Amino acid sequence: MLRKIAFNLFAWSIVLMVAFPLFWMLVTSVKPQFELFRRPPTILPETWTFEHYWKLLSDTNFLGYFWNSVILSTTTTIVVVAIATVGAYSLVRFRYKGRESLAFLVLFTYLLPSVVLILPLYLMLVQLGLSNTITSLVIAYTTFALPYALWLLRSFMAGIPEDLESAALVDGASRLGAFWDIILPQLLPGIISTALFTFILSWNEYLYALVLVNSDDARPLTTGVMNMLISSFNIEWSLLMAASVMMSVPLIIVFAFLQSYLTRGFGAGGVKG
Amino acid sequence: MADVVLSNVHKKFGTFTAVEDLNLDIQQGEFISLLGPSGCGKTTTLRMLAGLEFPTSGEIRIGDRVVNDVPPGDRDIAMVFQSYALYPHMSVGQNIAYPLKKRRVPKTERAGMVAKTAEMLQLTPLLHRKPKELSGGQQQRVALGRALVRDPKVFLLDEPLSNLDAKLRGYMRAELIELHQRLGRTMVYVTHDQLEAMTMSDRIAVMEGGKLQQFAPPQEVYRAPANRFVASFIGTPGMNIVDGSLHEDAGRWTFTAPGFSVDAGQLGPDARPGPAAMGIRPEGLTIGSGPIQGITQLVEQTGHENITVVRLEDGLRMTGRTAPDRLWRTGEPVQLSIDARQAHFFAEGPTGKRLNRDVCTMDAPGSNGTSLKEATS
Ligand SMILES: Nc1ncnc2c1ncn2[C@@H]1O[C@H](COP(=O)(O)OP(=O)(O)OP(=O)(O)O)[C@@H](O)[C@H]1O
Ligand SMILES: [Mg+2]
Repeated sequence: MLRKIAFNLFAWSIVLMVAFPLFWMLVTSVKPQFELFRRPPTILPETWTFEHYWKLLSDTNFLGYFWNSVILSTTTTIVVVAIATVGAYSLVRFRYKGRESLAFLVLFTYLLPSVVLILPLYLMLVQLGLSNTITSLVIAYTTFALPYALWLLRSFMAGIPEDLESAALVDGASRLGAFWDIILPQLLPGIISTALFTFILSWNEYLYALVLVNSDDARPLTTGVMNMLISSFNIEWSLLMAASVMMSVPLIIVFAFLQSYLTRGFGAGGVKG
Repeated sequence: MADVVLSNVHKKFGTFTAVEDLNLDIQQGEFISLLGPSGCGKTTTLRMLAGLEFPTSGEIRIGDRVVNDVPPGDRDIAMVFQSYALYPHMSVGQNIAYPLKKRRVPKTERAGMVAKTAEMLQLTPLLHRKPKELSGGQQQRVALGRALVRDPKVFLLDEPLSNLDAKLRGYMRAELIELHQRLGRTMVYVTHDQLEAMTMSDRIAVMEGGKLQQFAPPQEVYRAPANRFVASFIGTPGMNIVDGSLHEDAGRWTFTAPGFSVDAGQLGPDARPGPAAMGIRPEGLTIGSGPIQGITQLVEQTGHENITVVRLEDGLRMTGRTAPDRLWRTGEPVQLSIDARQAHFFAEGPTGKRLNRDVCTMDAPGSNGTSLKEATS
C-alpha cells in the first residue's frame, strides 16, 4: 500500500517536472506583456489576453511558415513511408545476394551524425538548383528519416507470417494484390509508428532548415519563428510562446488521431503457433 | 489420366535437401495422402504443388500443362495451410469470400456460396467474428472453408483436421470423403495421422527424410510395406521388428534371432544371407502357446481386445493382441509363437527393403485395414 503511494508520488513528480515547461509556455503566451517580468512571478495570469496570438496571425508571416511546415512534413512523411514500406517488403520477402549487408549498410548511414552530411548535401542541392526550396528540405529529411523508418518497418514486416501472403496468392491474388489486401492492413500499426516518427522529426528539425533554406518563401516554422522573433536586440517572449503553442498543436492533433490506431491492436490470431 | 505428376522433383534449401527425387503420379479424382513423421518434407511437397516453392530440379504437371513457372493463382488449386493463415483483419465471412472475390465471382453469388460452405462447416453463427475470436478448431474450419468454397481442379490440404477434437474430426473426415466423392476432385492430403491416411485415401505416399518410401493403396501399405521404415511407421500398435540374420538352405530361408528362429520359406530375389530384420504385426503373434518363452510385462485393455507386451529371455519385447476373455497378469510366464506366414523380412538398415516374395497376398485380419471409404459407399 505504502509502496503504491510512494510509487504514485514518484511518477507524478516526474510528470510534473516534464509538464511544467509546457505549462509555463502556455501561461506565458496568454499573459500581457507587462505581467511577464513581474517579481514574484504570477503563476496564473491576472489578466488573460490573446493579443499575442492575434498579432502573430495578423502582423507576421507566421501562417506562411506554418503552411510551409505542413507541406514539408506531410510530403516527407509520405515519401519516407512509401519508400520504407516497399523497401522493407523487399528486405524481408525477397531473397537476393547481399540482402543482409544492405540492411546493415542502411542502419550504418543512420548512425552517421547528420551534421557531417550538411555540407555535401548543401552543395549537391545547390548544383541541382534546389537550394532555397521546400523540396530541398524534403530530400534532406528523407535521407536521415528513411534508414530508421526502414528498420522500423522491417521488423514489423518480419512479424507478418509469410503463409498469409502465400494464402492470398493461392486464393488468386496477384503479388501486388496480396500486398495491398493482406500485407498493408497488417502493417498499419508499423506504418503509423513510422509516419509519426517522420512527421515529428521533420516538424521539429532546425539545423538543416537553417542551413539549406534562406528565403521566407520556403522557411518552415522552426527557423521562421526564430528568425522573426529573436533579433540581437530583444526576444519577444510572449509572441515566441504563443508561436510555440501553435506549433505544438498540430503534433498533438496528429498524435491523438493516430494513437488510437496504434493501440487498437491489429493482427493477432491469424496464424496458429 | 494422370492429373498431377511430379517427376524427379528435388528441393534444396541451401545445402539441406528437403525433398529428394520425388516421383508421384496422381490420377484424376484420386484422394492421396502424404504421410510421414514431422520434417519429412510433406509441407514442402505441397507448397511446390501450389507454386509457393520452386523445385530445385524436376518437373511438376497439373492436368496437361507443366506448371513449374505458373504462379499459384493460375494453377487452379485451393490449399489449406498447416498454420491456417487466416487473414486477421477480415471476418470469417470475408475470409471465406476472399478467393471468390479475387476470381471475380459476382457479389450476389458470393453470398450464397459462402453461406453454403459455412453451413457445411458449422460456421454460420461465427461469420461475423474475426479469426482471433475463434478457437483453434474453429479457425481450422474457416481455413477449410476458404478452400472448399471454390471448385478448383486440385485440393491441397495440409493437416486440415489436426486441431479438431475427436468427434469433430470424425465428422469432418466423413464430410471430406463425402465431398470428395461428390466433387470428384483430386485431393492431396497431408497428415501425420496414419488412421486418417488409412481411412480416407485411395493411395498413401509414405515419406521419410525427404524421400518417398512407398506409394500404394492403404491395404498394400499395411500388408506389404515396401521397407522397414514403412512397416514400423504404419499400424498401431506398431509392428514388432527383430534384428537377426538370414540363412539359405536349398532355396529355403531361415531367420535366426537371439532366442528363436523362424522358417521364412521362399524369399524374393533380393534376399541375401547375413544380417536382416524380421517384422511381425501384433496379430501375427500367438500368446499362450508356442516355442518361445517370455514374461508378460504390460497389459493394456482397450475393451475389445488386450494389447500384451511380452519380454523375451534376452530382453527383446514383442507386442501381441489377445482376446479380452484371456487376461494375462503382469509378470506371468507365457509361451509365444510367431505365424511365419505373416512375417515380413527386411534387408539391413533403417529403410531396408522388404524381401518377401509375394507382393500382396496375405490376408491379415487388420482392423486398421478396413477402409472407411469402402464402408460408406
Ligand atoms: N524455408 C525453409 N528453409 C530451410 N529449411 C526448410 C524450409 N522449409 C522447410 N525446411 C526444412 O525442410 C524439411 C521439411 O519441412 P516440411 O515443412 O516439408 O516438413 P513436414 O513434413 O511438413 O513436417 P510437419 O509434419 O512438422 O509439418 C524440414 O527439415 C524443414 O526444417
Ligand atoms: Mg508440415
